[in-house]
Amino acid sequence: MSTFSFISQTTWRCAPCNQELQPEKVNVSYMGSVFTVELMVCSTCGFVLIPEDLAMGKMHAVEQLLEDK
Amino acid sequence: MEQQLLRTLEATCIQEELPFCTAACPIHVDVRTFMACLAKGDERGARRVLDRTMPFADIVGRICDEPCRQACKRLEAGDPLAVASLERHCVTGTAVVLKLTKLPELEGRVVFFGSGLASMIAALDLARKGRSATILTTDREIGGSLRNFGEERLPLTVLDAAVEQLGSYGVNIIFDCQMDPEFVEYTLNYYDAVFMDRDWAPIDDFCLDCRHPDPLTLEVDRPGCFTGGGTGPDGYSVIQQVEEGRRAALSIERYLQKVSLTAQREREGACATRLFTDITGIEPLSLILPADPVAGYTRQEAAGEAARCLQCQCLECVKQCAFLQTFKEYPKTLVRKIYNNQAVVQGTRTANTMINSCSLCGQCTLICPHQFPMAEVCLTTRQSMVLDSTMPPSAHEFALQDMDFSLSAVAAMFRHQPGKSSSRYLFYPGCQLAGSAPDLVEKTYLHLTRHLEDGVGLMLGCCGIPAHWSGRQELFAATMEDFSTIIQENGNPLIITACSSCYATFKEFAPELQLRSLWQILEETGLPEEKRAPLSQPMTIHDPCGVRKEPEIRASVRNIVRQLGMSVAEQPFSGELTDCCGFGGLMQFVNGPLGEEAAERKGGRSSLDSLAYCAMCRDNLAASGHRVAHLLDYCFPAADQADPLLRANPGFSGRHENRARLKEQLLASLWQEASALAPEHKQVVLTIAPQVRELMEKRLILEDDLQKVILQAEQSGRFLEDPQTGHRLANHRPVRVTYWAEYEVLDSGYRVHNAYSHRMILPEGKKV
Ligand code: SF4
Ligand code: SF4
Repeated sequence: MSTFSFISQTTWRCAPCNQELQPEKVNVSYMGSVFTVELMVCSTCGFVLIPEDLAMGKMHAVEQLLEDK
Repeated sequence: MEQQLLRTLEATCIQEELPFCTAACPIHVDVRTFMACLAKGDERGARRVLDRTMPFADIVGRICDEPCRQACKRLEAGDPLAVASLERHCVTGTAVVLKLTKLPELEGRVVFFGSGLASMIAALDLARKGRSATILTTDREIGGSLRNFGEERLPLTVLDAAVEQLGSYGVNIIFDCQMDPEFVEYTLNYYDAVFMDRDWAPIDDFCLDCRHPDPLTLEVDRPGCFTGGGTGPDGYSVIQQVEEGRRAALSIERYLQKVSLTAQREREGACATRLFTDITGIEPLSLILPADPVAGYTRQEAAGEAARCLQCQCLECVKQCAFLQTFKEYPKTLVRKIYNNQAVVQGTRTANTMINSCSLCGQCTLICPHQFPMAEVCLTTRQSMVLDSTMPPSAHEFALQDMDFSLSAVAAMFRHQPGKSSSRYLFYPGCQLAGSAPDLVEKTYLHLTRHLEDGVGLMLGCCGIPAHWSGRQELFAATMEDFSTIIQENGNPLIITACSSCYATFKEFAPELQLRSLWQILEETGLPEEKRAPLSQPMTIHDPCGVRKEPEIRASVRNIVRQLGMSVAEQPFSGELTDCCGFGGLMQFVNGPLGEEAAERKGGRSSLDSLAYCAMCRDNLAASGHRVAHLLDYCFPAADQADPLLRANPGFSGRHENRARLKEQLLASLWQEASALAPEHKQVVLTIAPQVRELMEKRLILEDDLQKVILQAEQSGRFLEDPQTGHRLANHRPVRVTYWAEYEVLDSGYRVHNAYSHRMILPEGKKV
């Protein structure tokens, strides 16, 4: 399965680890479906950034689609 | 949904019934579309409509005796459309646009005696179907009685063109035939089927049966022999030749195929229609005549006359309903989509949002001439979706959590009147009034305790209607059961509801309980002295959809308004035809924009200041920018005399807070009880700008959710930070939704800059 990439430059930094976020592949899931996507992540603690436009846009659309399956 | 039910429902909605003109036309010319084309100057489009159904449009279009005209709905608002004159205008000004195809040759030879219009049409129809067709006539020319119309009305060149047309479809015409009974008998035996055109003088010499064909099939006593056309008791009718020629052709085709001649022919020929078209308010318009009657209509005149067509259809329900309009459906097409949606086994169920968007308000059913049960269909579909686990989880979650909250210990309570140990009455304000105007709940309650004897208890909670609307039958039944048990255990007091949805719910689902509406009680007890100074201009009343079937309650409300010294200007969509504000059926949670549209529509029914007596209507109309007060605002005016028409919509977060605070305050002030300690996240103080609040409302995010995000982030230290702005970004997933808050630390509390959410589950962070 191809990996979708949602990485983009970000000014958000991980506060507890005091470092920049790095592109990383992570698994997100909903209603039993798992997707591997590339997101900005803190490589130390694993904090995943979901930016607003992704949450309210693509991600929302996929959620709705899975709910209608 | 069973297929049987689908069929019944489809038949209930008559939107797809034939318009009056088309039903009256024996060959069902689509006059409505023809008129629409002409009205916009599309003469070729109009011609295409004729070519599709009218054989020999150049002939029939010139001289049809237009039985449709008597049926035209315009008759009830002016003159009927000049259908035949417009057809004449069309065919004289255009050439054939649509040449109908000929199917591959088949076996089956058909002979036609006589060459009148009925024969011509039957031969053309059968030749097109691939049958071999031969016209035999003693005449020298084609057309029979058509030749008597005169050059002015029907030029002979048009008949010549018809001969050519018949030839192009392979029809063989033999003129000047010498005929005697032997020849006829021989021919009858040689061919597989025969048509006798009664518009042919010698027919009676050869055919004795032809006077009494079967009216449905036009077959005579001899199998395979059919007849039609000719001059009837009222003279020669062109459309009769057309109808009988066509009817005979269909019979012959069935005869050759050896299938039933009679099955399913009800819709053939002029037929009844169940279409309903409302003409109230339609301005009567008179016939537009051509300035030059000999030359007939000019293009412009024709367009003007055709524009008088009402484009008859029903759509009565759609005209009023924001839901049906948004989905561009009418109930007949909508149930089909629902049926197909439910039949999906693998793949996307594309109608889910539609099914969950109906407000279940029942307005359409009352408007519909056949009482189409749209709400019932959507509700039962939701119920079956819940049962077979195809209900999208996100659709109703927010509303159901809101209901949970209202029923939780934080917001719900039952108490007898202070100082009493039993209740003869029980005031049940409902979750929405408690959420919208907690002070009005308290004032109303105190008023009731002063005016009613033997104890007025108070119960805060939610009637459970969100569970019902969302299709969760089990949850709803359990909620009703709990409610009923509490009431019975407390001596079965008379329940006084302020909310019409609570009233409707208890009435339908807990008929064992005693129930009255607050408005009936207030009408009887009278209103408090300290009324607000009445307004000088009249106000309109927005009835909630819950009282559609409760004329007494609506009357009580109007009496109270009158007692308050205010005058009412009714708008047409009040009372039983009232609109839903967007809350009904959980519409606004499933489909935010549609909810707004519904509120806008309801509010826009009148330009006057308005009164609502359902808290949800009040808040939704206020949110859509209308000047609207709750009736209780005028019964129990605020101490500061603030204008209730300007009271803002508290929003979802505000309603939550109000419900919790109402319980806390009432317990403290009336029952001298302290409330349980608020949970820790409630201590998180947030500052939220109005635009951010608006965004949260749209995204169904509560202040409560953000308090949890921030508490959790600040306690764990897990958040992102933007060094440029100093803002923090954190998330929290209390149950199924992950909420994100972008915020800034203030001296006391936090300023929220943004909030959003998603349902996708993120991986747990790595252990560090
Ligand atoms: S108004 Fe138009 S659509 Fe209606 S019956 Fe008359 S011609 Fe037909
Ligand atoms: S009112 Fe609506 S449901 Fe009823 S027949 Fe007309 S279009 Fe169909």
